[in-house]
Amino acid sequence: MSMKDTNSNIPLKLFLYLIAFTILAPLVILVLWTFTSRWPWPNLFPTSFSLRALEEVFAPYANLLPTLVSSILLSLTVALLSAIVGTMTARALVFYDFFGKGLIKLLTMAPNIVPGTVFAMGIHVVFIRMSLADTLVGVIIVHLIYTLPYSINIMRDLTSSIGQQMELQAYVLGASPLKSFIYITLPLLAPGVLASMNMAYITSFSQYFLTLLIGGGKIRTLSTLMVPFIAKGDRSIGSAYALIFVLSTLTIFIVMDRVIKRLSFRNKEENL
Amino acid sequence: MELELKNISVKLSNKEILKSINLKVNNGEFISLLGASGCGKSTMLKTIAGIIKQNEGSILLGGNLADKIPAHKRKTVIVFQDFRLFPHMTVAENISFPLKMMGTNKTKCREKAIELLEKVQLKGFENRHIDELSGGQMQRVALARALAAEPTVLLLDEPFSSLDINLRKNMRELVLSLQKEYKITTLLVTHDQEEALTMSHRIAFIHNGQIEQYDSPENIFKHPVNTLVADYFAEGVYIDGDIIDNKFISGLFTLDANKDNGKYKCLVRPLAVKVKKAEKGCFKVLDKIFQGDNYLLKLSNIDKKLNLESIISAPVDILEGDLVDVDLDKERLIFIPE
Repeated sequence: MSMKDTNSNIPLKLFLYLIAFTILAPLVILVLWTFTSRWPWPNLFPTSFSLRALEEVFAPYANLLPTLVSSILLSLTVALLSAIVGTMTARALVFYDFFGKGLIKLLTMAPNIVPGTVFAMGIHVVFIRMSLADTLVGVIIVHLIYTLPYSINIMRDLTSSIGQQMELQAYVLGASPLKSFIYITLPLLAPGVLASMNMAYITSFSQYFLTLLIGGGKIRTLSTLMVPFIAKGDRSIGSAYALIFVLSTLTIFIVMDRVIKRLSFRNKEENL
Repeated sequence: MELELKNISVKLSNKEILKSINLKVNNGEFISLLGASGCGKSTMLKTIAGIIKQNEGSILLGGNLADKIPAHKRKTVIVFQDFRLFPHMTVAENISFPLKMMGTNKTKCREKAIELLEKVQLKGFENRHIDELSGGQMQRVALARALAAEPTVLLLDEPFSSLDINLRKNMRELVLSLQKEYKITTLLVTHDQEEALTMSHRIAFIHNGQIEQYDSPENIFKHPVNTLVADYFAEGVYIDGDIIDNKFISGLFTLDANKDNGKYKCLVRPLAVKVKKAEKGCFKVLDKIFQGDNYLLKLSNIDKKLNLESIISAPVDILEGDLVDVDLDKERLIFIPE
């Protein structure tokens, strides 16, 4: 029995190590590039190191910290709105029948089907007419259009698997529809809300072209700061920004995880 | 509280589920809604609770119109077959959920939860998680939670069907004793005729969205209004005939029967058939089936083309192939007008 267990675990372990390697190896290379000044081909390791990239990135004129903070706030706003709209849309699609339901289902996927640049040019024209171009609200809306398909689909599956049974039970026990949703449904949906917020956050945080076009250069995010260096071929500065990107995102994910777990199990701690 | 349904009709996705149901339940009464699956009995429960809106008719609670009262204010609590305990809460939190919704403070909530746990014989379970409970324990927690909501009408939707048979008996007794103690008007939805017969003051037999008969267990069993009701409780053989001047006359036999004149079907259930071994008996035993406490005999009379069944208590010397004489127990015969 125990022999069999260890045997069957070996391929699984190998697979896990492989996954870990594919995630960690690029990170190691990012760290290396951040501190590299020269890394000529075909050397296995850089020939000389420097702190130039970090000095450039953290220089006062680069405005890293304010940009990072506003970038995080922007993406958090998008993530939160996306989760809220996604949860509500999913609920409507799962529990109610209404005219045009099939069309809305299809349209939730549309932004992912149309090529990004085509979509961006079209929406830019519309936003200029609505005077939403070059505004923060415009950028938030355009990010939302991109994140909603993920949020809606994640929430739709979870909503239909949870169903309405628990909510009905709460009604007959004296909970109003709003209270049933807050105390019963929302805690059950928490894992989906977290996944959908993470997905929306990372989608919004990594938007470059859309942010640049709709924001008209006025809305600056970490991506709009980082991508020109990568495009220009300055690998050291590009890597330094990428590291900050990864670390800040990871931190935000951990914080979101804690906050959502706290909120959804709040009943437990505060009540009895 | 007194409950009355007046001409309740319910249509779900264009299908008529309930067809002008009229039902009156007295305060503190225990009523069973009995019927095969799909007859509309669960829909009736949900309509009473306000989860499903009726298309026609009205519901009265304690004499007052309840149609406009939303589900969460009706105090008509359903205990579902699958218990529906909230998985993210402990046992005590589940039970005190209705109290929390009423705005009761935490210490009172906990006190009440502990008190109710004792009532359902689960003392000391308050901090358990739902996934640590067995089916029977979940059922008890669901019951305690329903009682915490202080229901004016308690609605039980096939609450015992997911439990094994030994547990079922205990749970039935527990439900009955709690119902008596709290004097709650209770409606039990079930497809199990034995459950309905043993537990309730009155039984409403439902077929195809209509109440066929609403009567005491004894009356509904002994005087079914039609063959649908009769067959649901215990099947038997029907013999067509007429009653003329208090005599039932058929091609097979003639009996005294105190009924109005007319065409009748006489239902002969296995317990009404008494057999005696006889060398020149007119029935032959085709099959003898052991059923634990008793035997079921399948009898056949070749001359008159009549097949009967008889239940006889255990030690018996009749074997397959024997010839027997048949005697009908007049008290157990049922006459159903056509």
